[in-house]
Amino acid sequence: MIRQVSIFMENHEGRLNKLLKILAENDINIRSLNIAETMDYGIVRLILQETEKGIEVLKKNNIRCTSTSVLAAEVPDEPGGLSNLVDALTQAKINIVYAYSFLPKKTDNAIIIVRVDDEVQQKAIETLEKTQGVKLLDAETLLMK
Amino acid sequence: MYWNKSCECMPREKLLELQLERLKGMVNRIYHDVPFYRNKFQEAGLVPEDVQTLSDLQKLPFTTKVDLRDNYPYGLFAVPLEKIVRIHASSGTTGKPTVVGYTRKDITTWSEIMARSLVAAGADSHSVVQNAYGYGLFTGGLGVHYGAEMLGASIVPISGGNTDKQIMIMKDFGTTVLTCTPSYAIYLGDALEKKGIDPASLKLKTGVFGAEPWSDNMRKEIEKKLKIKAHDIYGLSEIMGPSVAIECDAQDGLHIWEDHFIPEIIDPVTLKVLPYGEQGELVITTITKEGIPLLRYRTRDVTSIIAEPCACGRTHLRIRRLQGRTDDMLIIRGVNVFPTQIESVLLELGEVEPHYQLIVRRDGSLDTLEIKVELSEEMFSDKISNLEKLEKRIGLRIHSTIGINAKIAFVEPGSLPRSEGKSQRVVDLRKI
Repeated sequence: MIRQVSIFMENHEGRLNKLLKILAENDINIRSLNIAETMDYGIVRLILQETEKGIEVLKKNNIRCTSTSVLAAEVPDEPGGLSNLVDALTQAKINIVYAYSFLPKKTDNAIIIVRVDDEVQQKAIETLEKTQGVKLLDAETLLMK
Repeated sequence: MYWNKSCECMPREKLLELQLERLKGMVNRIYHDVPFYRNKFQEAGLVPEDVQTLSDLQKLPFTTKVDLRDNYPYGLFAVPLEKIVRIHASSGTTGKPTVVGYTRKDITTWSEIMARSLVAAGADSHSVVQNAYGYGLFTGGLGVHYGAEMLGASIVPISGGNTDKQIMIMKDFGTTVLTCTPSYAIYLGDALEKKGIDPASLKLKTGVFGAEPWSDNMRKEIEKKLKIKAHDIYGLSEIMGPSVAIECDAQDGLHIWEDHFIPEIIDPVTLKVLPYGEQGELVITTITKEGIPLLRYRTRDVTSIIAEPCACGRTHLRIRRLQGRTDDMLIIRGVNVFPTQIESVLLELGEVEPHYQLIVRRDGSLDTLEIKVELSEEMFSDKISNLEKLEKRIGLRIHSTIGINAKIAFVEPGSLPRSEGKSQRVVDLRKI
């Protein structure tokens, strides 16, 4: 399981900039970024190279954030590669709350980050462990990729 | 035209005599029938016999909205519930409303002063009164209703909202008098224009507008859009409801019905009574009310008293159009809103130290309320759907507390101004 840092931001110019500057100044690398926006606010979801340090820095800067458990799975970077994963979750009647891709540096495969509801997370892990063409990653492995 | 000429044009001397007699009676009643007042008198070392002249009123204790809250719901009633025939309520400073009760005689008094007010605004028994004030706990709807019936006018109890129907009735029923909030009057005027209805083709003659602050500019706009004469009416449920004071044809201040109410203007800081003409907080003593007589009630409304005789012939003092408030109460679409009510909702929903700000805007002629809430750690979730659910929950609770739909906007922690005072909890962007 991977810890994602979720951050609340008002939907205005300059907000993301402020967040990124804080992380840069503290030498924290962002491995993946996803933004979900509404009219008034957005939620920035980050996978950080150093999660603990990142949360500490953000909290110190009075930025509303929380850590969330998400799944990371490696799938072949080819047509239908992601389909196996989604299909397996669908068969297991597990809803994907949101998903986004992670940019790996050292593999040709694709890596997808998947958020499912907390109560079905274990079931999702068990399902994907049995799914062909999908390789679940732990945090350490993910951040090495 | 007058409804009750002998009262409305009573020589001042006689009026003051009547006030003194009624004040003495009122002080006696509250001393004997309301433990809250007896305690207040005793603490101040006063007895009812200390009131021998009208200026003795200045020695007596004030009553505030907090007193009403502390004695919620019926603690300040001076008669047993058996004698109460109507109960109204308005916004309190927290989740609990301010409750008032009327005896049968109170309802008659209220109807009488409302009939006087309607006549002062140009209505008579031939009038068709379209009453677009809300009916319910709010005193506006039923207050106008009973007064119009006493006057013998034809009252159309349409209540607020439903603009298409309002316009249909205005046309088809031949409405001559419109009663509603001034902002709704403008809204109706705009709606007429959009429908291509010439207001001159309607029978509308006059309007009685109140329950929210308005200005001379708004008056001009209403008079132009609806081709009527627009009269300001003042009231508050604690004292009676609408018709505590009314603007006559002279449209220069509102006559306060002094045979039932004694007005004073005080300095809100020193609490000293100010001379006529000086601006300060309006304090009212009800001298005939039975259900919940209030002594020197601090209205928090800022105005001044005009003592000069009025061209209309009425001898009752006038108060100027309201200039503001001495607290942070907001009036939004005729509804009184206290920031502390919002706070109590947030506390109820589990917020420990809520930071929030109320922003009031006027979009066209209608007021909107936005409530900015700093997102706390407990409230935050990485799922948008959770935040949307929370937004909805807060919105519903606020609606059920204050009766207004507010837009809830989550903002980042620390983004709202922190201040010692309360003022920054409210940003009123309305240009009235």
